[in-house]
Amino acid sequence: MIELLEIFVFGTAMGGIFALLASGFSLIFGVSRILNFAHGVCFSISAYLVIYFIKEFSVDIFSASILGIFFAVLVGFFVYALTKYIRHNVVMVIIVTLAFALLVEQFLLLSFGNRGLTMPPFVEGIQVIYENLRIAKVRLLAIAIAIATLLALEFFISRTIIGKRINAVSQDIEAAKLLGINVEKVLIATFLISSALAGIAGILYAQIFNIYPAMILRVLIYAFAVVILGGLGSFRGSVVASFIIGYIFVATMKTLGAQWSEFVMLITIVAILAVRPTGLFGVKE
Amino acid sequence: MKAIIPLAFLLAILPMFVPSAYLYLIGLALLFAVLVASWDLMVGYTGQVNLGHTTFVGLGAYTAAILQLPARIGAAFDVHPIVAVILAGVLSAFFGLAIGLLTLRLKGYYFSLVTAILPLVFMQKVFVWRGVFGGEEGFSIPSEKILVATTLEKYYVAAIFAIISLGVIYAILRSKIGLRFKAVRDSEELAEALGIDTTKYKILAFVLSSFFAGVAGAIFVNYRMTVAPDLYDVPLMLLIILSAVIGGLGTLWGPFLMGIIVYLAKNWWLTAFRFGIVNEEIILYAILIAVAILMPRGVYNEVKEKLRRFAKS
Amino acid sequence: MRWAVLVALTLLIALCAMPEQKQVAEQKRDKVVIGVLAPMSLPEGTAQEKAVKLAVEEINAKGGILGYKVEVVVGDDKLDPSVGVAEFKRLATLQKADVIIGGFSSGVMLATMEAMAETKTLFLADASSPSHSAKVAENYEKYKYWFRIAQNNATTFAFDIADMIKMLRNNGYEVKKIYVIRDEHIWAEDVMKTLRPLLLDLGVEIIKDVQVPRNYAEYESLILEAEKLNAHLIVPILALTGTGDVLVKQWASLRPKILLAGHDLAAIDHGFFNKTNGAANYVIFLADGGALVTAPITELCKEFVEKYKAKYGHYPEAHQAYGAYDAVYIYKRVVEEASKNGEKDPFNAETLVKYLERFNESNPIILTRPIAFTPNHDLVWSDKTIRNWISQWQDGKQVILYPEHVANGKLKLPPWMS
Repeated sequence: MIELLEIFVFGTAMGGIFALLASGFSLIFGVSRILNFAHGVCFSISAYLVIYFIKEFSVDIFSASILGIFFAVLVGFFVYALTKYIRHNVVMVIIVTLAFALLVEQFLLLSFGNRGLTMPPFVEGIQVIYENLRIAKVRLLAIAIAIATLLALEFFISRTIIGKRINAVSQDIEAAKLLGINVEKVLIATFLISSALAGIAGILYAQIFNIYPAMILRVLIYAFAVVILGGLGSFRGSVVASFIIGYIFVATMKTLGAQWSEFVMLITIVAILAVRPTGLFGVKE
Repeated sequence: MKAIIPLAFLLAILPMFVPSAYLYLIGLALLFAVLVASWDLMVGYTGQVNLGHTTFVGLGAYTAAILQLPARIGAAFDVHPIVAVILAGVLSAFFGLAIGLLTLRLKGYYFSLVTAILPLVFMQKVFVWRGVFGGEEGFSIPSEKILVATTLEKYYVAAIFAIISLGVIYAILRSKIGLRFKAVRDSEELAEALGIDTTKYKILAFVLSSFFAGVAGAIFVNYRMTVAPDLYDVPLMLLIILSAVIGGLGTLWGPFLMGIIVYLAKNWWLTAFRFGIVNEEIILYAILIAVAILMPRGVYNEVKEKLRRFAKS
Repeated sequence: MRWAVLVALTLLIALCAMPEQKQVAEQKRDKVVIGVLAPMSLPEGTAQEKAVKLAVEEINAKGGILGYKVEVVVGDDKLDPSVGVAEFKRLATLQKADVIIGGFSSGVMLATMEAMAETKTLFLADASSPSHSAKVAENYEKYKYWFRIAQNNATTFAFDIADMIKMLRNNGYEVKKIYVIRDEHIWAEDVMKTLRPLLLDLGVEIIKDVQVPRNYAEYESLILEAEKLNAHLIVPILALTGTGDVLVKQWASLRPKILLAGHDLAAIDHGFFNKTNGAANYVIFLADGGALVTAPITELCKEFVEKYKAKYGHYPEAHQAYGAYDAVYIYKRVVEEASKNGEKDPFNAETLVKYLERFNESNPIILTRPIAFTPNHDLVWSDKTIRNWISQWQDGKQVILYPEHVANGKLKLPPWMS
């Protein structure tokens, strides 16, 4: 019982962070058909900058986080600009975003070193959940922040004008153009929102765990896994898939051991793909 | 194709001018160039973006390593290194077939996404069964069980392999099969209308490309005498993609030569530029981004075009 | 077109290779070249480079080695076996390094040892896997140029952990069940193989043996589990995972009534206490490499850490610095001895191997640590030479607890446990 509860709480935190990360990746793909290999840059850069601002300028954690997310958004805009003229060329987009991600990874490696860094949490302390099951408060806060952000995003997409336009463009770009929607603006908005989400995910992750340069590519694996499972371009699909993967991940770690967690996660995904190639919620291309 | 002969000649006389430490690197660069050329065979000629080429490099590498050192799996048999290298290629090709059957019938981005996570699955295998595969540090093969021993011999093995591979890939692409690959790339609908079984040809290209990757991986192991998970890893994959794309997809020669240039640049020429927050990798990636944006058809094609125009005027 | 590219490529290769060719032609010695080969993106790499440069500066100021000026050439193995081999060859053949100091990753070391055998270059090395010295044992003639200088063979951690448990018991802290968290890596396996029978003799049960991959950071659930299983001790055997600081932080915030004592490589770092915001307090660890900034065991060591700080503005960022510094001095010493004994070429690697082997268990050389080699060129593990001192973080200071002759403090238990 207590084990199940533990898997539930830890898995929800993991899934929430995955969801913030992967839903942005999926949104960008949905709107522009860009496979953004530089999505992990937004995730890592915000976490690194928060740590840097706190350490070098003694900024408090909350202001530092806002700055970090701001820089993540800037990076997102930069990636948008970088891919603007080669967007039609799938291979080139992969190349450019991947090369940019590796460039930033090297930069982080040279300026911060290969060792992982940790961030001071928003809240210190431990919360007793049940009997001896204690959980760091920051992990519970991360769950709350992730869920609140995802709900806000859902509201944004289904209720606001920009959100509806994002939805329209990702469903049928030609029809959206005919309706007079400025596709370019929608794309920019999508990049900015997605980058901010990745930035938030990075900060939450670095508070619970740690951040290191190789994370830039590592998080892409999770994002890939999520979008394959949830279906490319489907926002709700990626959110559901994120939590599923979060639980699989934590449950495997708990039962078989950490070395199996990624192996099992990846094998599960390949298996699902063999049975249902378009993912759980995917539409046929 | 005629250029293969002078290339072979140049590679044959190179050891007379170049000291052995660099010869060692040039041999590695040639092996790497085969990886790039074989990736181009799949991606440049059939248009299917394979992000998991290193799966087959690593698979070939570990297969050969274990066949040459069967004590790792508690077996006792003797396989000649050449046989081990070829079997490594065959096994890679076989896996390529299985994975191709599973993924290439799907259209769109799924092939790319699945191949992107494949090397990671295989890499995990190395960590999970550490006793056999040696985990992170891999394992080394004693020199008496290796294909050839000295740097000079290794260099020639790499050079001969590179020349043969280039020749064979070129021949395939010139044949009827090659034409069908291109038909699939240029318009899948049209190819299907012409009665070409597109899935079959995609799988064929994938199998061939995996075979070369597997053999190259096996020779890598014999070359440096250790096998380690870096042969599966993302940085190697990226280097392959970058070289092929900058060289010019679908030109074979462009990716092959660019493979040599990029590998040597990364591990030799650019190592002098290391100061503060800049190192050779940062310079390389920056150049590559610039080239990709400014010359999206690859350096080889763009320069060729310029030269042609220059010759006309 | 292809022709043009081919010719250009060949020219480029030839051009790059030519200037170095001239150097090859020179045969007469006018200097001593020391190569450093390590991963320069890691503190373990930069510390070695800095320490070698510091030692060479001192030696040059006093007239060099046998009157020759010493020059340092640096290579970066980038933690990649292919690059490591190529760089080793470059340093050994083109830069004509007389000795190469360095290493870190065991996998890269396995590959570079082949380059060492081919170029017959003296290699004073870091990296801790027992497989390296096993190679020397298997094929002495081929691999004899290799000496481990930075730290003990990793299997010795098992003896230290056993002694650690004895030390805790002697201090009245009962240890019957331990919870092991270790690297998912061969080296940790080797430690466990040696450790298991030792624990059996001590009557200690391993209630769980958890293996974690690189960058693993989910220790909270492990600590909770250790608590549930009534473990007396959480024993980390962590180096490559690189998240020893996260473990310490989560342990300090969960405050279980279990001591954290084992080999957590991160804890050796002098800046570890600040890095963890004091969570490191009361953590018991092994001072790998046999030296600590706040507990130097020889005079030279005391001088070295201060000189290092004066030159670079901080204390050594990794324990490999001691090994690299010692390597330069031990090299100087054997060359001078060879010269004194009238050897024809006192820089010859074959000759120097014999002189290095003279520093055995009965005849250690005292540098920043007392160094002695085993017949397989491992460091001798003993109280008198180098071992991984059992140490503890106490209020921002690293204190050696055991063995007694080097100890400078007593065990302290965390306040939430007493």
